Amino acid sequence: MRGKLNLGISGVVALAAVLNVCTTPLQAQSIEEKTQVCTGCHGEDGKPVDKTIPVIWGQQAGYIYIELRDFKRGDRKSDIMQPIVSSMAREDMQAIAEYFSKKPWPDLGQPRASKEISDRASSANRSVGCTGCHLDHFQGDGTVPHLAGLSREYLTKTMADFRTRARGNNPGMSDLMLATSPEDLAALAEYLSGL
Amino acid sequence: MGRPAILAAVLYGVAGLLIGPAGAQETKQETKPASGQAMVSPITQQQLNAADKSVNNFLLTNGNYAQTRFHPARQIERNNVKNLHVAWIFQTDVKESLETSPIVVDGVMYVTTSFSHVYALDAKTGVQLWHYNHKMGLVTTYCCGPNNRGVQVLGDLVYLATLDSKLVALKAKTGEVAWQSDIADPELGYSETMAPTVIKDKVLIGTNGGEYGIRGFVKAYDAKTGKLLWTFNTIPENSVGIWATKDATGRDMHRDIQAEKDQLAKTGDPFAKLGGGVWQNPAVDLATNRIYFVVGNPSPDLDGSIRPGDNLYTNSLVSLELDTGKYLCHFQYIAHDVWDLDAASPPVLVDVKGKDGKTIPGVIHAGKTGHIYVHDRKDCSLIRFSEAMVPQENMWVLPTKEGARMLPGANGGVEWSPIATDPGQGLAYAINLHQPMTYQVENSPYPNGKLWLGGAFKVIPGEAQAGNITAVDYNTGKIKWQVKTPEPMIGGILATAGGLVFTGEGNGKFAAYNSSNGKELWNFRAGAGVNAPPSTYMVSGKQYIVVGAGGNTQIDFRRGNNIIAFTLN
Repeated sequence: MRGKLNLGISGVVALAAVLNVCTTPLQAQSIEEKTQVCTGCHGEDGKPVDKTIPVIWGQQAGYIYIELRDFKRGDRKSDIMQPIVSSMAREDMQAIAEYFSKKPWPDLGQPRASKEISDRASSANRSVGCTGCHLDHFQGDGTVPHLAGLSREYLTKTMADFRTRARGNNPGMSDLMLATSPEDLAALAEYLSGL
Repeated sequence: MGRPAILAAVLYGVAGLLIGPAGAQETKQETKPASGQAMVSPITQQQLNAADKSVNNFLLTNGNYAQTRFHPARQIERNNVKNLHVAWIFQTDVKESLETSPIVVDGVMYVTTSFSHVYALDAKTGVQLWHYNHKMGLVTTYCCGPNNRGVQVLGDLVYLATLDSKLVALKAKTGEVAWQSDIADPELGYSETMAPTVIKDKVLIGTNGGEYGIRGFVKAYDAKTGKLLWTFNTIPENSVGIWATKDATGRDMHRDIQAEKDQLAKTGDPFAKLGGGVWQNPAVDLATNRIYFVVGNPSPDLDGSIRPGDNLYTNSLVSLELDTGKYLCHFQYIAHDVWDLDAASPPVLVDVKGKDGKTIPGVIHAGKTGHIYVHDRKDCSLIRFSEAMVPQENMWVLPTKEGARMLPGANGGVEWSPIATDPGQGLAYAINLHQPMTYQVENSPYPNGKLWLGGAFKVIPGEAQAGNITAVDYNTGKIKWQVKTPEPMIGGILATAGGLVFTGEGNGKFAAYNSSNGKELWNFRAGAGVNAPPSTYMVSGKQYIVVGAGGNTQIDFRRGNNIIAFTLN
């Protein structure tokens, strides 16, 4: 319930920001003006207002750009994000991605996973090879996202959405999540959030 | 970016400040300005043609155009190799997977790292001469690590292919960019990790992307200008083939040919998104002006239901005319592959015994299947295949929803790791992986340049993994000797006229073996995975062995950032 309520508030904030975006031509806006809309949900200080909303401060620029592109194309569904990106040109999306990628990654203050959970997560990683793409220490690169220190709730929701293909813009990830047991995914979410 | 070391990273290059966006694993907080220019003399095509006879240099990724990785230097040999010690260690700015083949030209060494950095070093001292930090594009899409396997030099230019799919020519003296060309669109899944092959004023380059639904190619660019000269699509518009039901070794692959034909009638030839990357360098036959390379897996890797036919020329040896890129012949190892047991290790040109026992020009390739395949260079036909170098079980069981166990696992056998040969002994040396896996299939449509595996290959927890170094007599197909290693092997191997082979392991061990019997003669612990192919060269009358110790992303071996050169007292 709490999550839904927060999301509702975020939606209102986002809508207000969209209206603001719509009254000023995008090309006339500074990057701070262009990204004002984002802070309503993703946070003024990089800490999202709801735990199921992703951290975008310090995220990989290529990944942010591809997600914005996919929201615009409709390959990734979101009632909030799709209207926000609908008027953005490729250059806008890339500039926004660069802008947020240069911000410092926020510390969400999540606890380190226990040894038992860490061992289970490491075993799951060895099995499907998460770090083959997300790289050492889950830092990501290019179009592959940084995972270390994302919120546990966002990680849990995202992996579940890949698993059901509710998030449909990366079928390779869906395949890998389907090949991983729910218990292993829970361990991964806890482990990654504590890195 | 949440990583203090990166925020503080300020990288200087000799050609002025070369400050680019810091890569994910760049380590140094500051590097000193380069000490000076590389004093290089232009390298001629004649020198490159004779690379196999050059005792002082290591001029091509795999030693020479035939790619034998057999070097004529013999100062370091079986009796004295026990005295080998570190001459110098150079620490790069990038602590991430290291797959570079060091190139040495008249005392100057060129090495690369993950994220497409290039360093020129004094090969005698390890002192940095210049550093090129490629300004990476926003979008990179790549499988299996941000690797780079090296450069090649021709004239006064150094050629590099980058993770964001650019071909870059650098000035050998300074590291400044002479020209840069786009190879393909990284947003559609194209990337580069291989070293270019430069021959007769052409730069030859393949592509990665078989995990992303690309259409693979080998391209030739003008070495002086970067202008595209020709493109060979590794997937022809008619990719259906002959509906082969057996692999190269005669085993049934359990294809449902009727179902594939029905699919073909419904959706047509799948050539446009069928994958077929080329991971490694072509071999060049200087006598016939032909090139030989191997083509990787079809897309999606594990789901064959939406790509009917043999999926030509995936999982194949292919030969082209060098000047035009015209197709000459091919041999497909696995038609309609659904296990990602593709062809990645670069082919090697050696004389071999033909089927009638007469010596003929041959070409050999080490497969992920664990076999070394021996071909007739004239028509690509298969002469023989070796005994399996790794356990094979349950081949070719089809992938299932739940996961079907089969050996080898999807990394092989022999991965991208180049083999070495010793033509005098008729031996090929290969490093192998043994990773028990299950193969799972899922179905999804083409995802616009995203990861497109069509399922998953999973390492089986609890089942032991291992590796080996294997010497195969390529004239008989018999295994001459084999050394077992505690972990899967990935990287590469070098043979020398000193009667030695050198190779490294993921646990940091780097060792020399007697090339006739596999007896270990020397070893060193590098502190990070030695998962790169070694090179050798001579400066001021002393022979050196050099190798990268930076670990490996794909198998997740311990990362480092060291280039280590060894010599005798």
